[in-house]
Amino acid sequence: MDITRRDLLRYSLIGATGVALGPLAGCGSDSSDKASSSSGGSSGEASTADLALWYWGGGLSDKVVADASTHFPNIKVTATQIGGNFKEKLLTTMTGGQGVPDITGIKGEDIASFLSSADQFVDLRELGADSLASKYLAWKWKQGSTVDGKLIGFPIDIGPTALYYRPDIYEQAGLPTDPAAVGTAFATWEAFFDAGVELQAKVPGTFMLTDAGGVFTLAIGQGAQRFVDPSNTFIGDGEHVRRAFELAAKTVELGIDGRLAGEDYNAALDSGTLPSIIGAAWLGLDIKSAAKASVGKWKVAPGPGGASNIGGSFLAIPKSSSDPKAAFEVITWLLSPENQARGFTDASLFPSTPEAYAMPALTAPDPFFGGQATIEVFGPAAKSIPEFYEGPYDAAIAAPYYNEVTNIESGKSLEDAWADAVSEGKKIAKKQGVKTS
Amino acid sequence: MTASTGTAHPRRATRRDPVFRVTSAAPRRARDKPVRSYWRQYLAISPFYAIFLVFGLFPLGFTLYLSFQRWDGLGDMQFVGLEQYRYLIHDSVFWHSLRNTLSIWVLSTIPMLCIALVLATMLQSSVRFTGFYRIAYYVPNVTSIVSAAIVFGSIFATQFGLLNAALHALHISEVNWLREPWGMKIAVATLSTWQWTGYNALIYLAGLQTIPTELYEAARVDGAGPIQCFLRITVPLMRPVILFTVIVSTVTGLQTFTEPQVLFGSNASTNPNSGGPGQGALTMVLYFYHQAFDNRDYGYGAAIAWAVFLIVTLFTIINWRLVQRRKEA
Repeated sequence: MDITRRDLLRYSLIGATGVALGPLAGCGSDSSDKASSSSGGSSGEASTADLALWYWGGGLSDKVVADASTHFPNIKVTATQIGGNFKEKLLTTMTGGQGVPDITGIKGEDIASFLSSADQFVDLRELGADSLASKYLAWKWKQGSTVDGKLIGFPIDIGPTALYYRPDIYEQAGLPTDPAAVGTAFATWEAFFDAGVELQAKVPGTFMLTDAGGVFTLAIGQGAQRFVDPSNTFIGDGEHVRRAFELAAKTVELGIDGRLAGEDYNAALDSGTLPSIIGAAWLGLDIKSAAKASVGKWKVAPGPGGASNIGGSFLAIPKSSSDPKAAFEVITWLLSPENQARGFTDASLFPSTPEAYAMPALTAPDPFFGGQATIEVFGPAAKSIPEFYEGPYDAAIAAPYYNEVTNIESGKSLEDAWADAVSEGKKIAKKQGVKTS
Repeated sequence: MTASTGTAHPRRATRRDPVFRVTSAAPRRARDKPVRSYWRQYLAISPFYAIFLVFGLFPLGFTLYLSFQRWDGLGDMQFVGLEQYRYLIHDSVFWHSLRNTLSIWVLSTIPMLCIALVLATMLQSSVRFTGFYRIAYYVPNVTSIVSAAIVFGSIFATQFGLLNAALHALHISEVNWLREPWGMKIAVATLSTWQWTGYNALIYLAGLQTIPTELYEAARVDGAGPIQCFLRITVPLMRPVILFTVIVSTVTGLQTFTEPQVLFGSNASTNPNSGGPGQGALTMVLYFYHQAFDNRDYGYGAAIAWAVFLIVTLFTIINWRLVQRRKEA
């Protein structure tokens, strides 16, 4: 008894030492790994590479990812779906320097923040990305590049926006029902808002849009500027932000915003109290999962004020990648127009390659949308999104604007809300080292 | 024993004395042996300390260090001195989050502890299925808070929520629970009340079982009813246990995080973790999380974390002082 306990202690001690030394051993092998792989990479493609790929559930087509290893006989792709807060886990791992993936996904809302750490990633131009640029949407390519032109994120999918609507409810209100007619009639936000008032008058209890904050996001996204310009100067007090802010406030003033969340939102979509919603191509999935009674009753038309992008994502190669060359090969294959079309079928990832828009996977009519081929709306929308610059701290600076929009909903005046949003936004910008006038 | 600590202090002191003398003999003999001869014992208790060192003490120290830096989590740190704290003092959002946290804390702790005490008394006197009831009340505490928050989200939904349906049936005007500042706080407070009432009830139950039944019997002989028994015997004798739960609820309540995070759009790609409309449910820890993990402002996040620490300490001291004063009285 005594001996076994002592043995137990001894073994646990050995175990503990092993755990303690593990990272050290890892550090040693890590540097040798890097050395061997970089020499292997330069000597040619003959060597086998073992690449770790990180993405989140639904971030890539699982089938395409599974096919990668068969497509590249010399490259073993070990894909891992990372759950939870992806950005946080990637950051922590990169800071720790252990187990950093060779290829990683980066979400569209995080790319600007990662661009400020561009030195932690491989510049994909060095691996020959320039020759592929023409195949991808220019604005998306720019979104994955730093101000000085380094390409960090290779385009996966995008989120071009359009108006999802219910022709049956629109008809009751005497509004146009045909996608082309809806697109022309609601070309501007003002026309759309007027229609919202009309809708409410004719069909009581309905709302033309979800909430004012969404209008703010969309209106900002329709322009080329955000809250900080490429010279790192605060422009959150500019005309473009003011315009978006006023549009958001206008929806509150007119009372055409549903202010729905969670269950209410899903129920309203299905019941027709929310007969229209402006959102990205991927929003179609949410509507489909919420709709039970309204299947086949939806249509898609170009949204008011033009298209913007919400979401989308990128693949990047961290600096520590064991074989950047092989990693880049895998990335370009995973995200080729053909495979992006497959990604659309498997995971509703809207392609960032216009070439894919003509492929059968995208041109097929969708019964949920009454047999409409939605690509006819989303394709042109994707191409019409302006190139824009988003600073690394844009999300932080934008926060007070969103909060003030919700304050307008609870009765704050437009001018007070605007003044508070700008002063708070400026304060945050200043804290992050952004120049403010 | 817990009950006696609250009532008869002089007696407790004298009672403790001989016990102390008996046990003190053993350590004296042991003191002759060198400390290292106890390595087995130290080794046996070491896992806790090793884990505490790595996951408790080190992050604590590192957070303090971080709060004097500017760091995006990947690049080089930049020493900024007290800049983060200076910003914190003038950050209206932080003070807003403090007010939110305190309101949610009051809204959850008071009903939680009152209900728990009543529940515990009822559990104490229940004759059948005692095990079942105890487990049933404890289940919320071990339920995943995320799934609970999703259920509560649908209870509080404005148009199709259970609560508003009930209000509607009673001809009371409906409340936009998840968008009005107070509605949001009540939703968060209700969720944590639901989760922690059973836990506190079990602690109270343990306290109740130390109260000698003779006291109740004597009271009953004197003609006291159940309510009088509860107010005159149970509550005074339970005071130390109640104060313990107040302190624990303070420490956890001031660190409310998951409830507002899940209830109010943690997944939103624009403006995530802002605590819902008008930041009505932005708690201090949620604000810390938002700054550190959404905005990648780890230095500022660390400063907020230390501010939270100081505030929790302050409230714990206040509670402690209340205990002391009661003892003197």
